[in-house]
Amino acid sequence: MGCNDSHEVSQLNELKIDLDAIAVIAHYKSNSDIIMDEQMPIFGGYAGGVEETTIVDVATHINSMVMSSASWHLDGPVHIRWGSTNTRETLMIAGWTCATISEFTDLLSGNQYYPCAGPCTEMCLLEAAAQSITDTASGREILSGVASAKGVITDKTTGMEARMMGEAARATAGVEIETVNEILDKLVASYENNYANAPAGKTFQECYDVATVTPTDEYVKVYDGAKKKLEDLGLSF
Amino acid sequence: MTFTKSVTCYDFYDRAQTGEKCSQDDWDLMTIPMKAMELKQKYNLDFGKEFIPTDKDQMERLFKAGFEMLLECGVWCTDTHRIVKYTEDEIWDAINNPHKEFQLGTGRDAVYCRKRSVGDKAKPIVQGGPTGSPISEDVFVPVHMSYALEKEVDTIVNGVMTSVRGKPPIPGSPYEVLAAKTETRLIKDACSMAGRPGMGV
Repeated sequence: MGCNDSHEVSQLNELKIDLDAIAVIAHYKSNSDIIMDEQMPIFGGYAGGVEETTIVDVATHINSMVMSSASWHLDGPVHIRWGSTNTRETLMIAGWTCATISEFTDLLSGNQYYPCAGPCTEMCLLEAAAQSITDTASGREILSGVASAKGVITDKTTGMEARMMGEAARATAGVEIETVNEILDKLVASYENNYANAPAGKTFQECYDVATVTPTDEYVKVYDGAKKKLEDLGLSF
Repeated sequence: MTFTKSVTCYDFYDRAQTGEKCSQDDWDLMTIPMKAMELKQKYNLDFGKEFIPTDKDQMERLFKAGFEMLLECGVWCTDTHRIVKYTEDEIWDAINNPHKEFQLGTGRDAVYCRKRSVGDKAKPIVQGGPTGSPISEDVFVPVHMSYALEKEVDTIVNGVMTSVRGKPPIPGSPYEVLAAKTETRLIKDACSMAGRPGMGV
């Protein structure tokens, strides 16, 4: 890796750190590396509810500047029950934290994506879109994902989910916040009752022609269906 | 009283040797939840149903609550079981002197990370990739190529190889080091094969 790649160091939940991480920061600084300080606050964990977890998230962002001399902080509020960053509660934590950090500091931040559903499903793409809309409107500088199927199943991520993250961001940039909140309310309501039975989706090998690295016609159709649904909710691509 | 110098990782290490002792249970189950609850009440925070805030007064109260959370609690060190604290001036020094912009990647594939604001018209940087998800060794390159081939994607975030030379990358073993080095090299190869050799990782 070169100086212009992001070099990761992770804080621990919540407001904790180990000394190996501090030593790693010394190494990065001595190389003049871009430092990415990462932490995923847990909704329903040590901090508690939405507002309490958001307070800790703001503190964690600030700590990335004090402790880690971070070039940017990678956020990722995650739901303790569903292991997802795309729930109503975790999107609220991310949205309020980022908007507040953007308003009162010059810290650069990103957010990472862990939808419940797997690739080649409409739910997965809608979950990714919801977070992209939240992040783009609240002032995030970097969107990082998508770890489909909660990022725990082998080979269940593909470039198509990242395409949705990017297209939803492009469509959201500059939209009035009141409109964004209305779209998000309807969009999250469309999938939030399905976490327990989220579609598992398909592996990369089933979603793509591996030799040519081209998505299957089936996935392209699913993608078009998700875009149509987002347009019906008020997003203009 | 003004601070003597900006906080560094060396200061943090030194303070982690001498700070106040605290057990992990006290930190996780008392300090963090009690202070977060206290600050929620002190600053009268209630987000209602909004995903993105429109109430600037409440955003200011949230910022003060987050600042106070860090100032009063500090950071707990898992190795020494001690609390590292900062002064108010030290925290403001860090906030006032951030890394304001930087370049990810090189050449024509480089992107520049600059501050955005709420409702900004500029599209954020898209860092595409498996984000730590497990990826089989035999499809590691094509999976990462699938991101590098997307024009919406600006930089790559890596997946984790489930094996390297057929062996699991057990933490603390030489295979872990080999896997980490191999991941980076293969991702750089994937970007090159997609025609974007300068993409940041």
